[in-house]
Amino acid sequence: MWLYEKKLEYPVNIRKKDLKMAKCMSAQLGGPDSELSASLQYMNQRYTMPDEKGKALLTDIATEELAHVEMIAAMMYQLMKGATIEEIKEAGLEGNFTMHDGAIYPMSPTGEPFTTAYIAVTGDYIADLESDMASEQRARATYEHLMDLTNDPDVLGPLSFLRQREIVHYQRFKELRNYYLEKKI
Amino acid sequence: MNYYNKNNDYYNYVNNTYNQPLYNQSSNNKKILDPYNGFVRGNMFSDLYNGYKLNKPLDITPLNEQADMLTYIDSLCFALIDLNLYLDLYPNDSKIIELFNSYRMEKDEITKEYESKYGPLTLNSDSLNKAPWAWDNMPWPWEGV
Repeated sequence: MWLYEKKLEYPVNIRKKDLKMAKCMSAQLGGPDSELSASLQYMNQRYTMPDEKGKALLTDIATEELAHVEMIAAMMYQLMKGATIEEIKEAGLEGNFTMHDGAIYPMSPTGEPFTTAYIAVTGDYIADLESDMASEQRARATYEHLMDLTNDPDVLGPLSFLRQREIVHYQRFKELRNYYLEKKI
Repeated sequence: MNYYNKNNDYYNYVNNTYNQPLYNQSSNNKKILDPYNGFVRGNMFSDLYNGYKLNKPLDITPLNEQADMLTYIDSLCFALIDLNLYLDLYPNDSKIIELFNSYRMEKDEITKEYESKYGPLTLNSDSLNKAPWAWDNMPWPWEGV
């Protein structure tokens, strides 16, 4: 069961429109290494973790990733809010506009719709945790690319926060994986 | 930004920090940041912080009293999220459990005050005990400024 909190994990208050940035940000909403992929991957892996530590950590990180999906969506929504048709065309978002208007739809910046083919769930907890470590690293790299693409502090603040969370999650997954290898569970 | 330098920075950091046997560590040799400084960095454990592009973490500048109070709540909530991930793996670290509970109580207290002034953050709030129904009478969190 989940309980909604009517706030973001970290505040998003973007004052300046940037449609191209919104388009790139969709990598973290509906791309292969997105927050949505991460959340679904951990959420579905947790049932076959071998002990309470694993079940707890995967549940809690999957939950936090959902809060990150919400932050990314908020950023995209605010970056696109009030855009004119001319601005939409200029950013190359007319296809998106035709299908979704200003709505948020999980797909990649290159147009592929989100698919669960992006997530890895094997039932083997070492294989799964190593996938999770890799997922966190790929998301960290994606955040660095996004940070390279903007100088707006309203955008950099949340991106920097989210990037750092990837580092912390990677660390916890790695500690759990090492613990299982050491304990030979 | 130079792609290779960027990656070298990261991997130097990995070699210096990540390869320590952290699973043997206890909180005795960990530096825990205060909730606000942890929050703006995105981690409570200072040894895990590794910034990118920014010279220092960006401060949060609340635009009004409500946002200011919410930032305080956000920081405490963040401290609980991050300490909990650690405690999932190190459930016997009583020093961190103590810290978690002191932040939890502080958060409960300030949340109650916030909700009585500005409306509910969850459906568990005492501020829902009145008409009209208060859940939908303040902006949703993605609306921004």
